[in-house]
This record gives sequence, C-alpha cells and structure tokens, in this order.
Amino acid sequence: MSGFKAGEFGMKRLEVMEQNDAEAIHVNSLYLLEHMGIKVVSDEGRRLLKEAGADVDEKTKICRIPSYLVDESIRRCKRPVKIAGRNPEYDFVLDGDHCFACTDGVGLSTIDLESGERRGSTLKDVADSAKIVDHLPMIHMYNPIVTPLDVPKHSHTVHEFMAALENCEKHFTTGSTYQKEEAQYEIKMAAEVVGGYKELRRRPIISNLTCTTSPMVLGMTTDAAIEFSRAGCPPLLMAMPLIGATAPMTVAGAVLLGNAQVIALATVLQLAAPGSPLCYSSEPMAMDVQSGLFEGLFPAANMVRAAHVQMAKHYDIPIFIGGWGSCSKAPDVQAGYEKAFSAFIAYLSGADITSGPGLLENWTVLSFEQLIIDHEMFTMMADMLKGFPVDDDSMPLDVIMDVGHEGHYMGKKHTLDHFRSMWQPMVTDGQTYRTWKDAGGKNAVDHAREKAKEILKTHLPEPLDADISKKLKALVAEADINIPHK
Amino acid sequence: MSGEDKQAILSELENGVKTLKQEVAVAAAEKALAAGINPVEAIEEGLAKGIRDVGEKFSRKEMFVVELIYAAEIMAAAIKVLEPELKKVAGQRNVLGKVVLGTVAGDIHDIGKNLVRIMLEAGGFEVHDIGKDASTECFVEKAKEVGASLIGASSLMTTTVDGQKELVDALRSAGIKTPLMVGGAAVSEEWAAEIGANYVSDAGSSVSAAKDLMGKGA
Repeated sequence: MSGFKAGEFGMKRLEVMEQNDAEAIHVNSLYLLEHMGIKVVSDEGRRLLKEAGADVDEKTKICRIPSYLVDESIRRCKRPVKIAGRNPEYDFVLDGDHCFACTDGVGLSTIDLESGERRGSTLKDVADSAKIVDHLPMIHMYNPIVTPLDVPKHSHTVHEFMAALENCEKHFTTGSTYQKEEAQYEIKMAAEVVGGYKELRRRPIISNLTCTTSPMVLGMTTDAAIEFSRAGCPPLLMAMPLIGATAPMTVAGAVLLGNAQVIALATVLQLAAPGSPLCYSSEPMAMDVQSGLFEGLFPAANMVRAAHVQMAKHYDIPIFIGGWGSCSKAPDVQAGYEKAFSAFIAYLSGADITSGPGLLENWTVLSFEQLIIDHEMFTMMADMLKGFPVDDDSMPLDVIMDVGHEGHYMGKKHTLDHFRSMWQPMVTDGQTYRTWKDAGGKNAVDHAREKAKEILKTHLPEPLDADISKKLKALVAEADINIPHK
Repeated sequence: MSGEDKQAILSELENGVKTLKQEVAVAAAEKALAAGINPVEAIEEGLAKGIRDVGEKFSRKEMFVVELIYAAEIMAAAIKVLEPELKKVAGQRNVLGKVVLGTVAGDIHDIGKNLVRIMLEAGGFEVHDIGKDASTECFVEKAKEVGASLIGASSLMTTTVDGQKELVDALRSAGIKTPLMVGGAAVSEEWAAEIGANYVSDAGSSVSAAKDLMGKGA
C-alpha cells in the first residue's frame, strides 16, 4: 500500500530547529538521563538497565543511564520499519520518505451516526470505525478510536483487536495495552492470523502505542512494550508532555523532556530485544494559560510535534505523531482549522505517520463524520506535499503555443492525459449556489454523514478464515478469564 | 454497401467520440464520406449518439468536464471532415430548436458558455455560437437571421451582467419574443427574474431548461 512520498518532486522538508539545536536537545537529553536519571516502574525494565551498566536505585526506582548505552541503543534500532496488514496488500515500509495516516485512541464517547447524540462508546463503534478505515484509501492503519464500555474492562484491548480483525484488513495499533498479559494474548492472536511467530516477526500486523509518563517516568506499560519488542512488533514510544504542567513552560523544554523519555524507553526496549523495530512518538499538549485546561492543538504543542519529528529524523527512526486533534465538541470550523494545522505541520516536517482522524475534544470523542472529513484533508495534504514534477511534459511548450492567445486548454489531449492526477473531493462542496441549494444545501459534515452510512452499508471486508476466527474467539474467551482483573 | 458495413461505420463514429479517440472518429468520418453515407445520418446516428452518451455520463458525474470538452473537440474534428458533403444537404437535420448563444459584451469568459453549447448540441439543439464579448446587436441580428427559438447569454462578471438586461430590452423593443436563458457566475435567480429572463445554474441543467422553454415566448 502506498502513502505518499513527501517531497517526491524536490520539495524540501520543514525543519523547525537548526541542526545544532537538535544536537543540543540530544546532548541535554543524555545529560538528564545520566545525571538525573529516569524512574522505571517496570521491574523487568530496571533489571535490563542494571545488567547493562546503569546506576539503578531499587528504593526510588530511579535509573541513571550512561550516555554510551543510550547512543548505542539508538544505533541498534531496526531500520527501516515494516508495517503489515492482515491483507499483505496493505503492507508498507516506514522508510523516512513516505507519509501515512492512522486513527488514534482512546476516546470514551461517540457521536451517534443516526441520532447525532453523544453517548458511551461500544464495541460496535470499534467495528464500524474499523470498517470505514478499511474502506478509506488514504488511512493506512487502525488504532481503536474508542474504548468500548460494553466489554470486560481488564481485557478490552483484546476485544478491540478481534473487532478490528473482523472489519479491517489493515495494520492494527493497540493504543491502550497496558498489561503484559494483554500484550501476550494480542501477540498470540496476531501469530494465529499470519501463521506463526516467525512470520509475525517478518510481517508484524500489530504494533503498540506505549506511553511514557511526564516528567521522567517509564510506567508499567513498559512491560507490555517489552513483549511486543520481543515478538518483533514495533512499539511506538510516545511522549505526552503537557507544556507548563508536566513539562517546562517552553517549547524547547517540552521537546527536551519528551525526547529524553523516548530515548530512555528505546534503550530499555533495545536491551530487551536488540535490533528490534520501534518508532518515536509524540502527542504534546499546551495549557490554556487562562483556565489551566489543556488543549492538544495550540500552536506551542504543534511546534513540539514538529520538533519531535526533527529529532526522530536526527536519529533516523520513524515517527508516529499524534496530530489531527481538536478541542472542538463537534465537527465544525474549529475542528477543521485545528486539525489541518496540526497534521500539516507534522507532515511538512516529514512525519512518517500522524494519528487522530475521527476524534474530537482532545482525542476523547469519536465522530464518524469527522473521520471522513479528516481523510479528505489528508488527501489534500498528500496532494500538496508530494510536490510536482518540472520537466518537458509538465511544461508543454508545444501545447501552450498551439492554444495561443485567449484560447483555453480544456479540450487538449495534454489536459486529458493529466487531469486524473488532480485532487478530487469526496465530501467537499464545489457546486454553484443553486445546484447546492436544490440538492438540500448540504455542508461537508452532511456529505460525510451520508458517506459514512453508505460505507457501513456497502463495504465488505474480506472475512477471517473460519478456522482462524474460531481459534481467535477461543483466545479472546481465555483472555477474559486469564488477564488479571485490576 | 451493405447495411452491416454502414452500421459498422456509424458505430465507429459513435465510439470514437464515446471513448475519446479522435483518430478513430476522424477515420470513420472519412470512411463515411467514401461510402456515401448521408453526412446528416453520420452525425445523428453516429457522432451525436456518442456525445449524448458522454453528456449523460457527465451529468451523472461518471465522466469529467475535461472529457466532455475533449469529446466535443473530437466531434468538431469529425464534422469538419464531413463539412463539404454536409453543405449539400443542409436543412435536413432534425433539431429540437435553434439557439443563439454568446457571452455578453465586455466579458471574455466563455468556458461555461462553451460547455452549455456542447450540452445543447448533444441534446439535439442547433446552436449558433456568437462567441465572447458579443454585442447586444450581434445577439439580435443573429436571432433574426436564424429564426432563433431560444437565446442564451452568459456573464461571469458583475460589471458585465447589465448586458443581459440590455439584451432583453433590445430584443423586446425589436419585437422578438424568443425566450432568453441567462447564466454565469455573476447571475442569480433573482437577477434573472428581475430582468424577465430564465436562470440556468450550470451546463448540466441547460438541456432540460432549454426543452422547457421551447415555444414559451415572452
């Protein structure tokens, strides 16, 4: 499956820092990890660090990691990172040049597609949003957009994976697998689908978004990430600095803190599984200094995003950026501009993947309409960011001279040969007022609602093999019993 | 020539336009001439069928505006081949009506007007296109000359839209009761009603609007 190649035709990537600034962020990150250390709650994480030569205080759980260990770990990460789908047609490679889109988690509410009312999320919402993602050509992987409230809480991620496998043939990212046991069941299920653990290593159909905790903590989720690393399924190492609260009140301060956390976790995971694949990840938020509330898409947070993309490029590690967010409560103008700005600056900077289509109110509410609209925005960005060729065919001197003065190009063979490569809307309105009015005066949200309903009615993902499906269901039932109820 | 051969040539004419292959349509027009097929029939039963098909697909959003215009260019190129014979049999075409079409004085935006022409021709109308920046006199003279059953005036700019009102006034004072269709970016339904003309919002709806207006003189 192809995303788009940013700057395919010579466009340059945006860098928000000077090269030596990126180096300074790195050096200061190393300084913090070596002198201040990072608190590692995971027992296995501390054991690995201690064994490799870190100064570990078992009482405070603070690990001071020598710089050489961090640098060596970053060098060890597997490159490029392969992302596979249940259907191999949806496999792709994070090579640093191509850009992709993924949904994000983990909302708790859904704006009902029929009633328009906000309600608690269900497993059907996971299934439906997975099916829509399966249909949308420019969303390349699926992370359960919401956490269903109608399945057992301790094993919800396993149920989400099952619903996604049944409705979407693309790659699956689990955004809230916090326990080791959940990870183990998900890896078992993935291996069942692809035909064994060796094949899963070759074609990882699952990845794991794993959060570090600001400031300077690697939590219990590290245990789940270690499981994925050992299975060859890439964890996405996320920093979520809240500028001014869990990170300093400056862009560079938040970039530094987030970066230190990400490279510390990368070190633990490379010690657990040397040469395994992983991705850098970041989802910073900025404070509304008036109210003290947090907003994911204020300009400062977007700058941290772009800077983290630059850091990932600095390390030559792919990056999964949480963008596409909005604090808006409905798919409206605010949702449009917040999402457009955050996603565009991330892609301009060269992010391999951004996540967040379909979510509102700081990644907590699913809107099916917004999912379709965000896909539309991504196709527009892709069309701009790939750039354009400058050659004899794209500068047709003969056609220009043939049309001459005052003519037009609409009936030319050259036009016919090229128009299909032009961007085309799915839900954006470009009609005259009268035609628009006669058709019911619908806006993009109305069109998106119709499109979402149409997809859910007509799209048929390839069903799972009956035998595999039976085995997966048995694993889910087993997981309900065996995963610790906390 | 057998009926089968004739049918094959007519199909080639139709398909050349439908599938956007100019060389096929032009070669078929040459074959039609050589085989002595009536050029009116070559147009009606061949080329026009093709452009109608493209026009319908355009209206259903199955084909693109660029394809519609290109199809019209192909049709024009094929008709050019038929032209010498066509002149000899002039007046034999069955047309729904004669339309005088142009962009009003001071306005050089004619792409929308050209789309309307293609759609009307494909829909069975004989269109007399007086081009862009066309003076009111030019509209009136042409309408008289051809005995127009319909006049279409386009205006894209708010600075030229008054030309449509001027045209209505000139037509009525010359005693011409032919209905007038107006369209273009500067035109609204309210404006059309105000000046006593009929509003057409886009090329796609021009054929049905034209059919409705036939015989409904002011």
